[in-house]
Amino acid sequence: MSVIEVNELWKKYRRPHQKVSSLKEAVFAFLRGQTGAEEFYALKNISFSVEPGEAIGLVGPNGSGKSTLLGLIARVLQPTQGAIRVEGRICPLLELGTGFHPDLTGRENIFLNASLLGLRHREVLKKYDSIVGFAELEEVMDAPVKTYSTGMVVRLGFAVAVHLEPDILLIDEVLSVGDEHFQHKSFDRLLQFKEEGKTIFVVSHNLDAVKRLCERAIWLDRGRIIKDGETEQVIAKYREAVEEWERSVAEARARNARPS
Amino acid sequence: MSELAEVLRYREVLWNLVRRNLKVRYKNSVLGFAWSLLNPLMQIGVWYFLFKIILGNDEPDFMAVLITGFLPWLFFSQTVLDSTACVAQEMALVKKAYFPRTILPLAVLLSNLIHLGFAFIVLIGLFAFWRVDVNLNYLLVIPATLLVALFAYGLSAMLAAWSVFYQDVKFIVGNLLGLWFFLTPVLYPLHRVLGKQISSPENWLERLMANWLPYIKEIYVLDPVTIAIMGYRSALLHGGSNPIVVANPDHLPELAARQAAMQGAYPLLPYILGAIAIAVLTAVVGHIIFMRRAPLFAEQG
Repeated sequence: MSVIEVNELWKKYRRPHQKVSSLKEAVFAFLRGQTGAEEFYALKNISFSVEPGEAIGLVGPNGSGKSTLLGLIARVLQPTQGAIRVEGRICPLLELGTGFHPDLTGRENIFLNASLLGLRHREVLKKYDSIVGFAELEEVMDAPVKTYSTGMVVRLGFAVAVHLEPDILLIDEVLSVGDEHFQHKSFDRLLQFKEEGKTIFVVSHNLDAVKRLCERAIWLDRGRIIKDGETEQVIAKYREAVEEWERSVAEARARNARPS
Repeated sequence: MSELAEVLRYREVLWNLVRRNLKVRYKNSVLGFAWSLLNPLMQIGVWYFLFKIILGNDEPDFMAVLITGFLPWLFFSQTVLDSTACVAQEMALVKKAYFPRTILPLAVLLSNLIHLGFAFIVLIGLFAFWRVDVNLNYLLVIPATLLVALFAYGLSAMLAAWSVFYQDVKFIVGNLLGLWFFLTPVLYPLHRVLGKQISSPENWLERLMANWLPYIKEIYVLDPVTIAIMGYRSALLHGGSNPIVVANPDHLPELAARQAAMQGAYPLLPYILGAIAIAVLTAVVGHIIFMRRAPLFAEQG
């Protein structure tokens, strides 16, 4: 019984030629007969399924559709075509900590964030101390979050997310949060998560971290799955492709630079 | 109805957002919550000074007319204004996590209802101080508030959804509310409008108005905000009876007779029913527009 099932998924975006954000512009664009947008597919016919307890790394160059895929699994975005079925409580860590309100204290933000992820007030109360302890922010919990440093915000966001006991954890590019010490700690927490049989879905450019955490990887490029399989193999192939691409770029540059 | 179940499932988010709205509004102000009452009272003080003392308005109980009109208006306009920006303001949350998006305008509506509640409590205190008889008829403000809340939700949802895509909406809304304010009987009693006659029009505008006056009056009275204000006045000033009658026949027989005739011409019940229908329709249409746009919110901004 899979926990995530993605079936022939397509996601279409409209990329405006010019950003139309006022009524006047929209009216003029319409009068000139401009549709104003070009359509492109961020994801093309994606299918895969995830078993409980799997840790999956999503790799690929910028703009390959990784974040879009996570957004769709998190139900923040809607598929254009196809279906996603998710079983269990899902905790998205997309753009870590941005769900915090700067004017509220750390404490209040914990409760707001936890409720967004579906936790009841008393459940959060039980975990409050260990969340704060994990973030190592005991002294500043009654200060507004806007007085925190970037690292502190990120630590708090991570601490909230890993303490909510979700069945599925979605992580977008936040494996390298905080200082060295916190990175080790958060990485250990993710490993522990895996041992507990939870499902982890990671987007990262840190391929070594992906290798250590995930036994399965999916390589996305321009909206398509290039390879889906064992992490070592997928990453090896991906690296090869990147090197290949870099070599061709370097050669092209060298050719262009050569005086004729 | 599955939407309602979703909102109930995420009710903790709703409460947290309401709590946050209440806290953030008067943050960094020494008097804090007291401003939700001081603000309208100071505004009313300004009008009272202008209309009663400088312009010599002879309306009986003018202060009470102002307070009972301004409370529901302030609730309505503040809700609509706050909601217009609510989705755009919470983009960080919208992009980060799933929750039923209806919660955003609902949180604005609820926080403003709570502000109204606080203001109302102080109002009752003031009435007790003035030795006005506080009685069960005051409960009529509850259906009146529900009416204006329903109407405000519909407009809010619609405007919140549109303003995610078009920046202009919030500027238009601010100005329209400024005009709308004068089209509701906040600064004057309703009979001033209903009793308006243009017998000898002097220019094109007055001629136009004279022709359309009966219809303008009909539309005017059908405004759910106007009906809610009348509900407040009826509940708080007229013991639950038709609020058009203001004057005491013993003291001002001529005015009282005119108003009695008006009451016959405008039995309020059909207008109340009409306003309820308009409010319900606005709420349904606004909600549908919001729900159709909601899946696209996270892709904007």
